[in-house]
Amino acid sequence: MSENISMTATPEPPAIDTLFEQSMRDIEIPPCPDILNNIMEEARKSEPDFNRLASLIKADVSLSAGLIKTVNSPYFGMRRRVGTIHDALIVLGLDVSKRAIAGIVLRDIFPVTPAMERFWDASARIARISGWLAQKLQLPGLLPEDAYTLGLFRDCGIPVLLLRFPDYDKVLGIANSNAQHSFTSVEETVLPTNHAMVGCILAQSWWLPEELCLAIRNHHDLPILQSAESRLPMLSRRLIATAQLAEHILQHECALSSTQEWPKLGATCLRLLNLQEEDLEQLYAEGRPIAEATE
Amino acid sequence: MKGIDSLTGFLDRSGCLRTATQLVRDLAASGQPLAVLWFNLDRFKQVNESFGHIGGDSVIADIAIRFRARTSGRAELSRMGGDEFVCLVPECDRIQAQQLARELMNTVEEPLTVGDLVLHPTASVGIAIYETGEDPLELLERADRAMFASKGKGGNSIVISGDEPVPGRLGILLAREELSIENSLHTAFETGGFHLHYQPILRADGSIEAVEALMRCTVNNQTISPGKFIPVAEKTGLITRLGEWSLLQGALQARTLRDAGCPTKVAINISRAQLVSPKFSNALHAALLCANIQPDLIELELTESLFMDISETVQKNLKSAIKAGISLAIDDFGTGYSCLANLKDIPARKLKLDRTFVTVLPDDSRALAVVQAVTQLGRNLGMTVVAEGCETQKQNDALLNVGVDAIQGYLHAYPMPGEDLIAWIQERKQP
Repeated sequence: MSENISMTATPEPPAIDTLFEQSMRDIEIPPCPDILNNIMEEARKSEPDFNRLASLIKADVSLSAGLIKTVNSPYFGMRRRVGTIHDALIVLGLDVSKRAIAGIVLRDIFPVTPAMERFWDASARIARISGWLAQKLQLPGLLPEDAYTLGLFRDCGIPVLLLRFPDYDKVLGIANSNAQHSFTSVEETVLPTNHAMVGCILAQSWWLPEELCLAIRNHHDLPILQSAESRLPMLSRRLIATAQLAEHILQHECALSSTQEWPKLGATCLRLLNLQEEDLEQLYAEGRPIAEATE
Repeated sequence: MKGIDSLTGFLDRSGCLRTATQLVRDLAASGQPLAVLWFNLDRFKQVNESFGHIGGDSVIADIAIRFRARTSGRAELSRMGGDEFVCLVPECDRIQAQQLARELMNTVEEPLTVGDLVLHPTASVGIAIYETGEDPLELLERADRAMFASKGKGGNSIVISGDEPVPGRLGILLAREELSIENSLHTAFETGGFHLHYQPILRADGSIEAVEALMRCTVNNQTISPGKFIPVAEKTGLITRLGEWSLLQGALQARTLRDAGCPTKVAINISRAQLVSPKFSNALHAALLCANIQPDLIELELTESLFMDISETVQKNLKSAIKAGISLAIDDFGTGYSCLANLKDIPARKLKLDRTFVTVLPDDSRALAVVQAVTQLGRNLGMTVVAEGCETQKQNDALLNVGVDAIQGYLHAYPMPGEDLIAWIQERKQP
């Protein structure tokens, strides 16, 4: 299968191809991007300097465009439209700004390949549907900006593993079609870890809120999601359920590659979101334009 | 009579509040302390159920007599209803209040006859000390809450208001100081307030054996010592996140050092909570993958008791780390059980001798004998022996004399931020 891909999509001579692969594998995952460190440095002060932060963000054109777009996205959950970075910081506050910016810079640390582009496009759609669902469902504590951020970060372990293990795409294929075992346990038959744990470690290192990190870590873990005794906070559970439902709506409406996650986790997710099976039809219909929209 | 409890002759609830208000007013003028002791008899409901209310009343009346005898005019006594008594004690500070509470608990415990049965009652006590400007009702409520906390501990105990455990952000019961530390930990998580500092460990020839990663926490420009925040992190479960965070940071530091041309092993401390988790191995490998580092540049430091944990998960986790090529070190050796029979089975390559043996060198000949013997033993078992906490040249000489392989301590280097560490290592490389 990989031979086919290299014949059609990457016509480079094998030597360069190997070098390219090697350099991809050496790509460093930053401990915490500088811009996030700068925001937190200001947040630690009693009077944060918004002007300083705004000029730091403005220095990066794509970051500032991304931030304005995120803040003004109806799915991020902010009611006020903003025109400037300074306003965005004021409206969002430093904590939410940090989350929005983390979501934007996350994508930039990985190399641009067609497969990665498809992956990020799906994540962005899941994020938008998640944000919309959180607004619609109005469950206590479940904020659109958190649901949106989880949508972006939930599977960020996948690109890391794609970089490190050349055959990881095959593992993904097997895990996606396995209807019996959890996604992560299928990964662990081949790898010493799984994408949920890698994503959690990355999110922790970027200082995302605890509930989000725990949601990333446990998003395929049905027993933990179901158990009343597990110490997984209700917010994390609901975030997981929201993203899972968002993914399901996306797959249902856009006929994207279907996974076995909804058959495995769907019933529990619906329960966590106080929804019934009958509610799904309406959600599919209402969610379709969001799932189909291009950014 | 209004304001008086008919069974005991003490003040009743309204009388108590009126008196408390009066005392608080007097106090504001005099500046003297005022203590409120709130008593509740343990398992009194069973007395009532077994002997009826008449039996219960006789117990209450009996205990009231004892209270009156013991306080002899030192305190205003009230019965708040049921089996609850309040003592308002003027000119009584925290320590005196505790003494009085203990005296009164002793008197409660004296055997008491109801019908043909002998009871040994106990009481739960909450204490509140008046704080300037406080409302008398609030003062009484604080004492009541403290009594409740005492009940929560199983009764027959004293809790002082301010010390009682309260649910923290994660819903775990914590004392006030712990609560404030828990809040700081959450703030530190939100604002990136954690850092790792690295302390070099030097071999006898001056080369670097490894660096140990040590956690630091800064919140609102204030540093919280690891001795304070780590126990709270352990209690609240936040230690898992902290531990995993330091795994990745330590691994990233190892990568930075390697890329800077000075590959150095980074030793990372692992807590019990991490090691007993079935996900430990996953997290460890996730950190290695993210940092993209060879496992032989990482060392895990564990206390001896963790190696002795025979649970399947712990043993599996240890094996998985070793299989990956990560080396293990026994931390703080000599302070735990230090069972020599087990030492031979521990899969560690390094033994870190606790600082308590080092700080008393070279004068303490007995400590020196222990250091010497352990060093010999470690070496015979094929381990590298490291001494921790070396602060003086004399200690250093004594340690080298007995053949310790490597030394860690302020004498050679204080723990330092990652950026300074590279400069420190490179400086040493200069001829």
